[in-house]
Amino acid sequence: MADRVLLTIGTKKGVFVADAAKARRAFTLRGPFGPGVPVYSTLIDARGTPRLYASCCNPFFGMKVLRSTDMGKSFTETKSAPAFPKEDGRALVNIWSLEAGGGKKDLLCGVEPASLFRSPDGGDSWEMVPGISNHEHARQWQPGGGGLCMHTIIRDGNRVHLGISTGGHYVSEDGGSTFTASNKGVGAGFAPDPYPEFGQCVHKMARHDDAPGRLYMQNHGGWSEWTGPGGPRPGIGVLRSDDYGRSWRSIAKGLPSDFGFPIVVHPHDADTVYVMPLEPSTRTCPGAAPAVWRSENGGDSWSRLARGLPKKQTYFTVQRDAMDVDRLKTPALYFGTTTGQLWIGREGGEQWDCLFDSLPPIHNVKVAVV
Amino acid sequence: MRLPTAGDTLARHLMVGAPTITIHVPGLLRDSCAGWTELSIPARTVRAALEDLEQHHSALYRNVCDETGAVRRHLNVFVNADNVRDLDGVDTTLTAGDVVTILPAVSGG
Repeated sequence: MADRVLLTIGTKKGVFVADAAKARRAFTLRGPFGPGVPVYSTLIDARGTPRLYASCCNPFFGMKVLRSTDMGKSFTETKSAPAFPKEDGRALVNIWSLEAGGGKKDLLCGVEPASLFRSPDGGDSWEMVPGISNHEHARQWQPGGGGLCMHTIIRDGNRVHLGISTGGHYVSEDGGSTFTASNKGVGAGFAPDPYPEFGQCVHKMARHDDAPGRLYMQNHGGWSEWTGPGGPRPGIGVLRSDDYGRSWRSIAKGLPSDFGFPIVVHPHDADTVYVMPLEPSTRTCPGAAPAVWRSENGGDSWSRLARGLPKKQTYFTVQRDAMDVDRLKTPALYFGTTTGQLWIGREGGEQWDCLFDSLPPIHNVKVAVV
Repeated sequence: MRLPTAGDTLARHLMVGAPTITIHVPGLLRDSCAGWTELSIPARTVRAALEDLEQHHSALYRNVCDETGAVRRHLNVFVNADNVRDLDGVDTTLTAGDVVTILPAVSGG
């Protein structure tokens, strides 16, 4: 019976694990695990006996994948990490996403330069997925500010959605064999053509099992005051699709900024979605007062959730994978900051408390009830 | 702990007739080569030494070189006291008794 709330926290100096009873009154922290290098992706694979994974982006000795089979009390390297075939000519720079695959031990891994890898054995061996990694567009994608990263992998039956910065949204309808760019309505504020076929700087995407075909996207917004060719491009930062990502429309109206990184869907209500608006130039919260914004009607309107958060002089960034929500009856949100605080938003984000206030800069937060 | 010149080393000598050099393994990488602090291998160049690692100590090799075969960006390779970047890179010639040292670049943050 699932009775513990487990958090994995990927930071600049390794991965931490925190856990608590379901009441979530007090969390116990363990770590850091790994050799003190950045962890941009973690995964709590709760299929069967829980396994925890963390990428280990070692600038000296290359990329590794860490695995824990004891609920995060210890981590060891898997037998291998994703690597391009020697004749490919590309070299792995970073691991940006780890997700459970279709089979019991299958894993999927999105990397930089943007490519997808699959493991059939829990991370001990990896093979490149050619349908996207060798896509005809792949050599035309350009790195965004964080690098050329494949940061989002969403499985939906035989469909696989991928988010690439800057490549855009790609979808496979055949289990990951072939992929098509699917970006109608996804703007690229930084390009002369504001609506290219591909090349958008998608920041994160999310979906809910109860809303087939619906996807939410946090795209690279912040172009409402653009004065270059084509004029302003307002509202391209927060988007929704209702046709499996074939077309997208803005749901940014009512937000203080359409720029941000994470986007998270309520576990029990597909109409409830959370974002963290940021100033586009500084990547900090508008007015130096952080707030999560929630829509309970699929993006038609938004409300500000900030009770318990600092009210002024706060300048952190919340990165694309640093916000998550647990699946308890009344879920809590969690976000980690680039200044090392981990916050919990109890009652669906109504009341915020700081769980840990002096961690290393946080890249990634995942939660599961195990 | 110094790696003994085992049978494979003898065979490699006979096959290639290359000078025997020593690779000094930094502490952070010893887990990837069974704890050895030094490896004694035949190699005429740094490139050949790395190829020998790829063949016989693949885990260590993957820590030193990326998939394209390039030495990782934040590592330095020295032949005796000289950084190979100041010599002929991985084509630097080796002579018997040379010590090749692999070290992480100094960094902060």
